[in-house]
Amino acid sequence: MNDIFEFKRFGLLFKKTITERYVQLIGITGLALAATLVIYSAVLYFTGGMGRNLAQNLSFVYGIIGGGCFLGSVIFGYFNTNASGAAYLTLPVSAFEKWFCGMLIIGVLFPSLFLVFYRLIDSCFVLFYHNGLNKNDPRYKDMYDAVQVYAFNNNFAKQCVLIYANFASAMMLGSLYFNKVSAVKTALVYGCVLALLYFLNLIIANLLFHNVDSAFPFDAVFIKVGNDVGILGLPDAIANLVQLAIQFIIPGILFLTVFIRLREKEI
Amino acid sequence: MSFGYTSKKLLYKNLSLTIEGGSIYGLLGKNGAGKSTLLKNMVGTLFPVEGEILINGKSPKKRQPSFLQTIYYIPEDVFIPALTIKQYKNLFAPFYPEFNEANYYKYLDELEVKVDGKLNKLSFGQQKKFIIAFALACNTKVLLMDEPTNGLDIPSKTQFRKLIASIMYDDRIIFISTHQVRDLENMIDNVIIVDNGDLLLHSSIINISNKLCFKTVSEIPANAKILYKEPMLKGAAVVMENINKEDSKLNLEHLFTGVTENPALTKEIFSAN
Repeated sequence: MNDIFEFKRFGLLFKKTITERYVQLIGITGLALAATLVIYSAVLYFTGGMGRNLAQNLSFVYGIIGGGCFLGSVIFGYFNTNASGAAYLTLPVSAFEKWFCGMLIIGVLFPSLFLVFYRLIDSCFVLFYHNGLNKNDPRYKDMYDAVQVYAFNNNFAKQCVLIYANFASAMMLGSLYFNKVSAVKTALVYGCVLALLYFLNLIIANLLFHNVDSAFPFDAVFIKVGNDVGILGLPDAIANLVQLAIQFIIPGILFLTVFIRLREKEI
Repeated sequence: MSFGYTSKKLLYKNLSLTIEGGSIYGLLGKNGAGKSTLLKNMVGTLFPVEGEILINGKSPKKRQPSFLQTIYYIPEDVFIPALTIKQYKNLFAPFYPEFNEANYYKYLDELEVKVDGKLNKLSFGQQKKFIIAFALACNTKVLLMDEPTNGLDIPSKTQFRKLIASIMYDDRIIFISTHQVRDLENMIDNVIIVDNGDLLLHSSIINISNKLCFKTVSEIPANAKILYKEPMLKGAAVVMENINKEDSKLNLEHLFTGVTENPALTKEIFSAN
């Protein structure tokens, strides 16, 4: 018997995970998708149809990050009681299979489902908008071009996916450290860490420069020059390294720590 | 092995214990004595800080599937998801290769667990009986039960004892932890008594009967090594050293109280040839 990975055993675990906790898993996913639709519609409604780009961005960021964070916090949420924790830890599957099951849901299934759903509602809204335009209007082409289906490869969407990877992995890890109300506790810890980094950066920037306006964590310091604010960025090579850390290294370490913690978890 | 919830204060220090197959062990101890902790170390939900536990040559700490499918642990509080009896079987039974479906329904019937809806709607006692039936049907070589009779009514406790006796086979180990010692009478063939992390007694029922005599006396014999005495209407119930090789009926409650109150005398009696 392979004690690390077997397809049949993994299949059983995956089926058990979804069936046993369908209310939580499918419920949160459904809520995230519903919230996306509501935010999109609400922004359109309150801006009188003028804030289409805002609607696209807001619904995308809240849908994927909000849904992903909540889902991440329940994926290993078996440890709020000793009984369910013990049942999970003593289930005859490997720690790798448990981790991989969580990764599959957080890293593949939820984002895929979200993107498909998002593309569907976005296409409907955009189509509805395009069909509603007066083709005889002299501004028709400009108005038509101004609203397009949301491009998943735009910079904002890419940043959202990065934040999703960082936050969802932190939430998964938090649920293995905090047995009760892990989402709130992890969010507090994560917030404190980000605040600490921000102020630490600001203090260091103030020691090095005069007239510091603000210092964004990791890669930029904003300095007041007269009435203007100038940006002092990192050299390209180091800036790329910081981006690499945010994009891959930090979430990678967090996801790896989830596996280690799951293997070493005691209850 | 040694274990402690904090590294500064160890609950078990240098505990050495060998468990043999084909036996039903009763793990007795007061509340907070460390019974559940020992079981959790055996199943691998807690890890020893020093030393090692091996069950059938495998370390529980690694929680390998090949080990976990040979051991079933029933904690004191059970967790039952919102599934029906059939759904539960379909989802969980495939993880245990020796699972016997016919026995599953038979045990459920014998324990009178009948439910058409979701299992999580059952009372605590019914949930516990359900898990016991499932665990027995899994046919694992090792079965660890933490306070299994908690929440069970009197007929269910009787049925539980009958079931346990019926599922015993040669190389199986059944380990039952409880502080309700009467629930284990006539069921176990080995007794382990722990208190504050110390192993006070580890002996077979036969050996206990050879070493100790349980009887009611009108007068306490002079110079007898008395492990426990309890005044009664006529005389006293005593647990004393069995120097005359008398046959007597084991009273687990008296044994437990005597051993926990007189660990030194227990050691003296049981270390003598």
